[in-house]
Amino acid sequence: MPWLVAAVLIALVVWRMAYLHQVNPAFDVAFFGGAFLRSFQLGSLYALIALGYTMVYGIIRLINFAHGEVFMVGAFVAYFIFSRTPYTWPWAVLVSVLVAVGFMYVLGFWRGRLTDPLVLTGGALAFLASTLALRSAEYGWFWALVSSMFVTGVVGVLIDKVAYRPLRGAPRNSMLITAIAVSFFLQNFGILAFTNRQTPFRPDSFWTGFLQFNVPGGTLFTTWMVVLVPLVTAVLVIALTLFVTRTRLGRAMRATAQDAETAQMMGVNVDRVIATTFLLGSMLAAAAGVMWGMTFGSINQPAIFGILPGIKAFAAAVIGGIGSLPGAVIGGVLLGFMENFLTSLFPRTASFPGITEYKDTFAFLLLIVILLVKPSGIVGEDLSEKV
Amino acid sequence: MLRDRRFRNTVLTLAGLGLLMFLLYLVENSGSIKLGEVAALFAIWGIAAVSLNLINGVTGILSLGHHGFMLVGGYVTALLILPQDTRELISRSARSQMNEFTLGLNLQDWFTAVGLDWLASPEALGVRFVVALFLGGLLAALFGIIVGFPSLRLRGDYLAIVTFAFGEAIRLLASTPLLGSFTNGALGFAGVPSQFGKSVWWTFGLLAVTVFVMSRLKFSSYGRALQGIREDEVAAEAMGVNTSYHKVLAFAISAFFAGVAGGLWVSWVGTARLDLFLFTLTFYFLVAISLGGTGSVTGVLLGTALVVFVRQYGDPLEQSYALSTWLAVAGLLLLALALGAFAYRSLQRLRPAWHPVLYPLAFAGIAVVAVALLGADLNALERRWQGFGMRAILLSVLLIVIMIFRPSGVLGRSEFSWAWLFGERKDVPTEEERAQDAWLSNAELNERADDPDPAAHPLLERGKKPKEQ
Repeated sequence: MPWLVAAVLIALVVWRMAYLHQVNPAFDVAFFGGAFLRSFQLGSLYALIALGYTMVYGIIRLINFAHGEVFMVGAFVAYFIFSRTPYTWPWAVLVSVLVAVGFMYVLGFWRGRLTDPLVLTGGALAFLASTLALRSAEYGWFWALVSSMFVTGVVGVLIDKVAYRPLRGAPRNSMLITAIAVSFFLQNFGILAFTNRQTPFRPDSFWTGFLQFNVPGGTLFTTWMVVLVPLVTAVLVIALTLFVTRTRLGRAMRATAQDAETAQMMGVNVDRVIATTFLLGSMLAAAAGVMWGMTFGSINQPAIFGILPGIKAFAAAVIGGIGSLPGAVIGGVLLGFMENFLTSLFPRTASFPGITEYKDTFAFLLLIVILLVKPSGIVGEDLSEKV
Repeated sequence: MLRDRRFRNTVLTLAGLGLLMFLLYLVENSGSIKLGEVAALFAIWGIAAVSLNLINGVTGILSLGHHGFMLVGGYVTALLILPQDTRELISRSARSQMNEFTLGLNLQDWFTAVGLDWLASPEALGVRFVVALFLGGLLAALFGIIVGFPSLRLRGDYLAIVTFAFGEAIRLLASTPLLGSFTNGALGFAGVPSQFGKSVWWTFGLLAVTVFVMSRLKFSSYGRALQGIREDEVAAEAMGVNTSYHKVLAFAISAFFAGVAGGLWVSWVGTARLDLFLFTLTFYFLVAISLGGTGSVTGVLLGTALVVFVRQYGDPLEQSYALSTWLAVAGLLLLALALGAFAYRSLQRLRPAWHPVLYPLAFAGIAVVAVALLGADLNALERRWQGFGMRAILLSVLLIVIMIFRPSGVLGRSEFSWAWLFGERKDVPTEEERAQDAWLSNAELNERADDPDPAAHPLLERGKKPKEQ
């Protein structure tokens, strides 16, 4: 049945593309190909954010309203780092110390304590790598991505520790209201720290340059970001999958998602598992934030930057089936396609005003429809509350 | 006479209302614009917060789409009462999207058309405003019913997200070309008559109506049903409450008053714009509800007063100060936190009173204060720094703290009542009553009720069956 639906949808899309091309030759392979690539790029970004929602929901059944703001923090931290490259020596050393501490903190989760030889070695290496990278502008974006992931990961863990951990076992409405409060806190803290201004986000990088290649009937112009974003997303998703399926902590995560109480009785340190979840989710959100900035060339005001991507990614997570990792990726990509490819199928023509103005509402409408028709999402299991 | 509680309460309530009206009179004649605005804003936000409380506090459904309902009410009100010349001015502007149909949405024209010329006259603007508010409220209620339907299938966070999505979708849709002819796109309407939203009599009058309706509703059979849904939906259903009907009804009533609040809000600002109805509004109401007391009308008013106070008088928080001042304040706060925790722990006889967590806190506080004092002359610390967003940070921190330590708010679910101030002290139960309670709650004693020797169980004296003669 799903295959049939997919086949019918694809047939409809192809028919629509052929029709548009027949009406106006400007709607050619390059036009739709560009839309396809951009949808995939945007969908990957949504998927990265949605993974954070889905993991946190899967573990503690909390819709982390502040996740969009974590995404914002990731982007602004990255801006803070790369916009100053190359750093002078004292600043490079200072920032590197911070990065190394964050790295050790993150690594400490796996090893249990900070004085573990592996953690110390990792910290030292991170310090060296950071100092070198901050002195060169070439890989500024990459270093900004990596270090912002670590810094934001620590921010996510702190949020959990300060705001959510005291509320374990509290009514879910209290937790949700707290999450809203945290999101407001981060928005306004962003205003305080970064000023509420649209900020250009253009690291010196090969990837933000133009890319063109020949397709039947014309040339497709785009930037290298359409390659980079899905690539980084794929790497991160594979790493996450390996982590969840192959490591002890990943197994503990799955056990906690199944049944936190029983997992605790079996010796799982649930608090640590939850902290890891926040860490990983925030790291992915930070990566999405950096690539979002590189894709669109600017990051919006801190007060509103996280809201729309956040709520759309949440919609993506629900569409795919919240609590499921593949569901988040599927939902994200689907949403990207709805926003970009669908609007390219109904372009502005002389007789038709186009639907680009409505693309922001797609996520909401799709969310509402999915919740009303199949709340468990595309690949999710039934999560209806027990009586 | 004053021993009669009902009479005493009525007298006190009337006296309180009289005092309030006198205070409002003073506010209006004080000549302070700020004071009047604070009062009016308190009333407008009070209406919205009390109405949101019906869904969030009384029915126990977390709804986050209140700004959407307010938008609907606000835009309808603005459209209906816009003066004709302002209307034409707006529609003539180059970027305007208003069309013929929207120009026709005009109470003045409608009243003229049915021959009620007096109501179309400039003097009757107040009457038209009431009619417009009512119509705006009705349309908002319609939206409330639409948003309420998902609540029949969804629970908890899902529902919260759907209401949020509806609220945002209303705002985003209003900016699209589809509805742009009604809302004039991102430009909105300027020149909405603002004498109503700024007048304390209008706003407080409507607040009084809202509070009256909401408090009567809370203790009516409907209110009991709604509270039953909050406590346990399945049990309420089993007791014969039609939960679907009641939930949708709660949404409709709440949205109606939200629409009224939206109309007043638009009139207060003097323009109807999309960015007036951000999610921030709902957040403020949420803070007011959580702070004052979920489900308590008077508590919500208390919370609203605090939110409005922070919003209107919080300017000093956001002005620019030397960095050393900020540091000193932050250090003192840290110290206060550590010392407060120490005092609390000593009072509660918790040991160790200086918990290990408090050491770094206190040291950091001392260090930061020292840096601020010693380095006040340093170039870096002299630089002035503006605390944009400090107010919202304060409110969100307050909300987090409240949620952690007292999730039901300051007043909890109880209402303010005169008995609190003038009633007798709660009496201490007599020995006999205690025995009765113990008997009722103790299963073991229940089992021994048949024991032939009553002297063995003195507690059972009252619980014994009367001897059959």
